[in-house]
Amino acid sequence: MRNSGAMLILTFIAILTLQAAGVSPPGKPRLTSCRSPEKETFTCWWEPGGDGGLPTTYALYYHLENSETVYECPDYRTAGENSCFFNKNDTSLWVNYNITVVASNALGKNISDPVEVDVVYIVQPNTPEHVTAVVVHDEQGPFVRVSWEKPRTADTRSGWITLLYQLRVKQEKDKEWEEYNAGMQKYYNVFSLHPDKEYMVQVRCKPDHGFWSEWTQTTYVKMPDYITRERSLWIMITIFFVFIVVILTWTLNVKRNSVKLCLLPAVPGPKIKGFDKQLLKSGKSEEVFNTLVIQGFPPTTDYDNLLVEYLEVYDNEEQELVQDGKDLSEDCMKSKSPSDIDSGRGSCDSHTLLLEKCMDGREGSGSNQHQYSQHGETRWASTESSESQDPEPGSPESANGRGKTWPVVFPSPQPQPHHHYPVGAAKPAYHSVPEILNHLSPHAMSSNYHQLNHQDILQQERRFSKPACRHSQSYNQFNLDGIDTPAPGVAPSPSLEYVEVQRVNPENMLLLRPLSDPNREPEGSDCTREDYSKVKEVTSNNILLLQRDMSHQCVDDYSQADQCTTQQPPHPCKPAVHQSNSGMPQEAIRVMGNGYVDSTVFNAILPST
Amino acid sequence: MTQGSRLCFAVAVLMCAFVSINGVGLNDLLERASQLSDKLHSLSTSLTNDLDSHFPPVGRVMMPRPSMCHTSSLQVPNDKDQALKVPEDELLSLARSLLLAWSDPLALLSSEASSLAHPERNTIDSKTKELQENINSLGAGLEHVFNKMDSTSDNLSSLPFYTNSLGQDKTSRLVNFHFLLSCFRRDSHKIDSFLKVLRCRAAKKRPEMC
Repeated sequence: MRNSGAMLILTFIAILTLQAAGVSPPGKPRLTSCRSPEKETFTCWWEPGGDGGLPTTYALYYHLENSETVYECPDYRTAGENSCFFNKNDTSLWVNYNITVVASNALGKNISDPVEVDVVYIVQPNTPEHVTAVVVHDEQGPFVRVSWEKPRTADTRSGWITLLYQLRVKQEKDKEWEEYNAGMQKYYNVFSLHPDKEYMVQVRCKPDHGFWSEWTQTTYVKMPDYITRERSLWIMITIFFVFIVVILTWTLNVKRNSVKLCLLPAVPGPKIKGFDKQLLKSGKSEEVFNTLVIQGFPPTTDYDNLLVEYLEVYDNEEQELVQDGKDLSEDCMKSKSPSDIDSGRGSCDSHTLLLEKCMDGREGSGSNQHQYSQHGETRWASTESSESQDPEPGSPESANGRGKTWPVVFPSPQPQPHHHYPVGAAKPAYHSVPEILNHLSPHAMSSNYHQLNHQDILQQERRFSKPACRHSQSYNQFNLDGIDTPAPGVAPSPSLEYVEVQRVNPENMLLLRPLSDPNREPEGSDCTREDYSKVKEVTSNNILLLQRDMSHQCVDDYSQADQCTTQQPPHPCKPAVHQSNSGMPQEAIRVMGNGYVDSTVFNAILPST
Repeated sequence: MTQGSRLCFAVAVLMCAFVSINGVGLNDLLERASQLSDKLHSLSTSLTNDLDSHFPPVGRVMMPRPSMCHTSSLQVPNDKDQALKVPEDELLSLARSLLLAWSDPLALLSSEASSLAHPERNTIDSKTKELQENINSLGAGLEHVFNKMDSTSDNLSSLPFYTNSLGQDKTSRLVNFHFLLSCFRRDSHKIDSFLKVLRCRAAKKRPEMC
């Protein structure tokens, strides 16, 4: 009792002394990990707990799950310090190992906690070996082919262990790795690496059920400097389009005018002849509009419209006569407008006009020499125009006033007209005597009486051609072409001048002489000066009594045109008109209100010899 | 095409299909089997991890020893040298025997998984059910492999499982569940290893796989 107590006290004092000296039993070691690289061997590592200031030894003890036999670690050195290596013979699979580590020193020992380990669950292979990264040039572009070997210890050939590989790539400057799983194969192609850059490659592996190995050492690979196919294609496309754009721009520039015309068609501006936009802009409207005035407008055509004025106008009182005469005349004449009474009648209908046009139906033959004064041309209206125009119906007075010129129109009732008549009264003409104009004879007869031969005046040119119908007051032209009986010594006179009937010779020919004839007898000079003769009355025998200005110098003279019908007016200086109608039907003589004779109905027939 | 010719054509197609199905190469069959066994083991490992996340420490004390697994009586190679010496058909039979031994316990596990006193109960339940499906398909596949290999004898070991209840209290049930699962995890690893050895042994034409 005393001994044990004393021993105890002594031990206690010794421990205290030892602790005061700084030494202690070892600390508790701890197993850190156990690993099997190929599922054939395994290694366990521990860490010491503290040596307690004294040299400490460590021992690892293990026993299997179904046995109580404790075995100590067979190999402390292979795996290094504080490790225990279990070789193949000592390794059993699908068996739990119960492992403990004992640390012991002079003062004591310490045992670690036990660890249950099944080898198949702690497999961690070694790193892959011989990692290579090679640049492969392909038509698509270069890429890197990384290849490696399996860890030397792993027996994948028999299928005992199945390894899965993984690699990672990055540039030196990158922070994150790009990881790729390679599966069970031992190579991998890395695409989409940037040209002219250096890359780092690492590989590791893992068993089908286990832990990942460590990464291999870094393998460096440098990508070549190349232009990617895609980029080169884009460069080419860009250059091509730039080229096209340049060409187009240059072409547009060269042809900018036509392009402008095409895109922006010109807006048609106002096109008024004579309209000057500049003047308009300048604001002087008078000048602008002055230029619009066309000289010579309204067109003064030679003959057409003005003839309106010269259509004959009938007075109301005379209309009966006019009507009658007109009816008769219509038979004789081929009138174009038979109906109108008023002055709107066509020229052909006008019985005051001697128109060639009206001779159209007839033998309008060659009056060839129509010379009309310009003045005259403007006076006469053509048949057509007058008819078509139907000129002012309500202006008979004006026509009257201006209708100084009215021709003698002698319609020819017989179809054989014009040859017989010595007088070719071709054109409407002003006559000094409204009767057939005949040849001028040297013996001009001047008398107060004019005997109008009821002759058929052949208007050879009845036809109212424009120049033909024109005539002026001064016109005096006879177409002598058709005259069968040439009058001696009388040449057709183209000049426009008045003529007067000198006398009527026994052959019933009116001898005419121009007013300016120097051979005019004085006695009749005064009388012959007269231009017009007025009709005083119409006798029952259809004799036109012409009135003449009384002049004492006038000599009663008359010519007896016809034996049958001639009548001598009893009164001297009394105008008398003999109208010889040889075989001609009695015709009414139209008398105009002003005393002028419308001789359209006159049929002067000269007996043909 | 007449009716007769159509019938002949259909028969020919069916025969081709039949032959092709049976004509699946051994390599392909083993490949498929290896994949299934791999999945099997992975599932069991994840289940174990789920269980370990919330396992009471006292349970570890209560845990039966692994030798208490009902399949521990089956003699299997312990290392690689032994395993590589085993003939293929024996390896196959070992794999099939193990597989057959676990069909019943897995049924029990799947029925008990939903009532486990564990927070990960649902996940465990779904995984257990998936485990059961895989085992059935693998068993059928190995059946084909066996038929393909033309083994003379079919020496399957019988490993009966008599336990029909995991325990009375939730802790014991949980512990027993965990224990069973650990046994299965090991056995699934055995199956997977054996099948992969078989796969590489049959795939002489594809050395890159092994």
